[in-house]
Amino acid sequence: MTQPPNHEPPVLELDGLTVELGRRTILDRLEASFSGRAIGLLGPNGAGKTTLLRTLLGFYRPSAGGAKVFGRKLATEGKQIRAEIGYMPESDAYISNITAVHFVRLMAELSGLPSEAALERAHEALFYVGLGEARYRKVGTFSTGMKQMVKLAQALVHGPRLLMLDEPTNGLDPPARKRMIDLVSDIRDRGTSRIILSSHLLGDVETVCDEVLILKRGAIADSCDLEADRRANKSFVEVDLEAPSDDFDRAVAALGCEVASLEPGRLKLVMPADLSTRSLWTTADELGVGIRRLDLKRDSLQDIFMRAMEDNHGGV
Amino acid sequence: MAVYERIWRRYDGSLTPLRWRPAVITKYALAEAFSSRIFAAFYVLCLLPTAIGVFLVYLSHNVSLLEQIGLTKEFMGGLTAVFFQFLFLWQALPAFFVAVIVSPSLIAADISNNALSLYLGRPIDRRDYVLGKMAVLFLLLSPITWIGGLLIFILQAYLEGNGWGFENWRIGAAYLVGHITWIVVISLLTLAISAWVRFKPAARGALFGIIFILAGFAQAINAVTNTSVGDLINLTRAIYNVVMSIFGGPTHGDLPIALNWFTLAATCVLSIWMLHRKLRAHEVVS
Repeated sequence: MTQPPNHEPPVLELDGLTVELGRRTILDRLEASFSGRAIGLLGPNGAGKTTLLRTLLGFYRPSAGGAKVFGRKLATEGKQIRAEIGYMPESDAYISNITAVHFVRLMAELSGLPSEAALERAHEALFYVGLGEARYRKVGTFSTGMKQMVKLAQALVHGPRLLMLDEPTNGLDPPARKRMIDLVSDIRDRGTSRIILSSHLLGDVETVCDEVLILKRGAIADSCDLEADRRANKSFVEVDLEAPSDDFDRAVAALGCEVASLEPGRLKLVMPADLSTRSLWTTADELGVGIRRLDLKRDSLQDIFMRAMEDNHGGV
Repeated sequence: MAVYERIWRRYDGSLTPLRWRPAVITKYALAEAFSSRIFAAFYVLCLLPTAIGVFLVYLSHNVSLLEQIGLTKEFMGGLTAVFFQFLFLWQALPAFFVAVIVSPSLIAADISNNALSLYLGRPIDRRDYVLGKMAVLFLLLSPITWIGGLLIFILQAYLEGNGWGFENWRIGAAYLVGHITWIVVISLLTLAISAWVRFKPAARGALFGIIFILAGFAQAINAVTNTSVGDLINLTRAIYNVVMSIFGGPTHGDLPIALNWFTLAATCVLSIWMLHRKLRAHEVVS
């Protein structure tokens, strides 16, 4: 995982974290460390993503192991950890009979902002998430999309060091979903807050996150550093030839590509960063080899996710 | 920063101390209670027994005023302990009604839309949350109970002089201990009901049921068994006997006062257990 800059403690360290609810093990000996700007929690429903977030907030007590957030121990510094977190839960969470600005201001004051600053920040946060015109309406009258946005506003009103977003795009129509993802990406790019984004939507995580933890049945199925992959700029290309050609295989290998033959006449290439697909077309032309299809694709998060789901126990 | 700029930034100003965060809950809940003009008017009415008490104490020491209206200093038989006991009851009863009006919305509003996870996701724990909500009732009920009662007691002691305050310390103690005990019991009980019953009218009905129907049921048990054992579940009898024992006045029934204290303590423990069970950021299904 990414090394923290300036010896800053990692955003999140999981040290054998185990959580049991009732007699069921929900999180099973999680071991990981993350320092990225945006950390994605991926997994199918019931994988333990929400339980992990709630455990970090102190809602559930670990039955074994522990965790650290910004170097603070969960077991002994719960309040200090929560003071640095803005939490947007997955389910509806609001006080229905007060106005949005009143609600967000209350949450800001609970996070420690003095009354006047809380009021100012509440207005700012509501404008920022696009609820400026609706800020004097009672939260109970909001649509689903507006309730999601007001949840985001209360999570970021106090300018937390870490923003925990649990399925933030749940129940949103495509334009609202894009707006939400744009907002989260904007917060990430400003660099003043780290983000943990829990979602089962690969697209959301891939757009926002630079590190990903994939959970399956409460255990870590995989983790990857998307940012490092992007930096390495590994490009995967699938090529279908009109006829198998050993000359073409040797020629592209000479260009620096790693070549894997999927079947006769069908290749998978890993291209170096400085090589473009144009070179492949040129080589084929020079050798008189016909290319029927050429797909440029990175090893997408979907590939990583599907592999993680298929590993170990087989099937998603 | 102007609000129209739609820019998000970190907050780098000063923060309030962690220990004062529960006071935020109290502040907002108080504002919510007094946002109703009807409640505000009712609350003022609840101060009436104290105002009348102050007036009567003043009147009983103002001989010239008494003469003008054709009364003597002994027009009430003097300000005996009975006067203060009677006044105590007329302070405690409105306090109960204030608690019944205010408390059902204190916790239910947070639980019904899962807002508890937002409170508890901040540097607030469940104890802070309950203390913040209890403080609402304590602040509301104190002026109409023990503060008003002690004010009257101190005024009487001042006007009477001659060590009256020392001789009648039990009156002051009864106002202080009795009212605060009543506030704690009724606050915990009403908060527990608020946590479990989200529909306000049902929560109010449950409170009346616990106080008055249970009292009737206790009387029935007493009548059938020809004992006072039913008083163990009679909250009004328990607080009455406890207060009267501090006043040094007659109590009802045969139960030792310690058992009346036990009834009140058991109510508090049961209420705390109910709050402990219900006040969670998320339901845990085992």
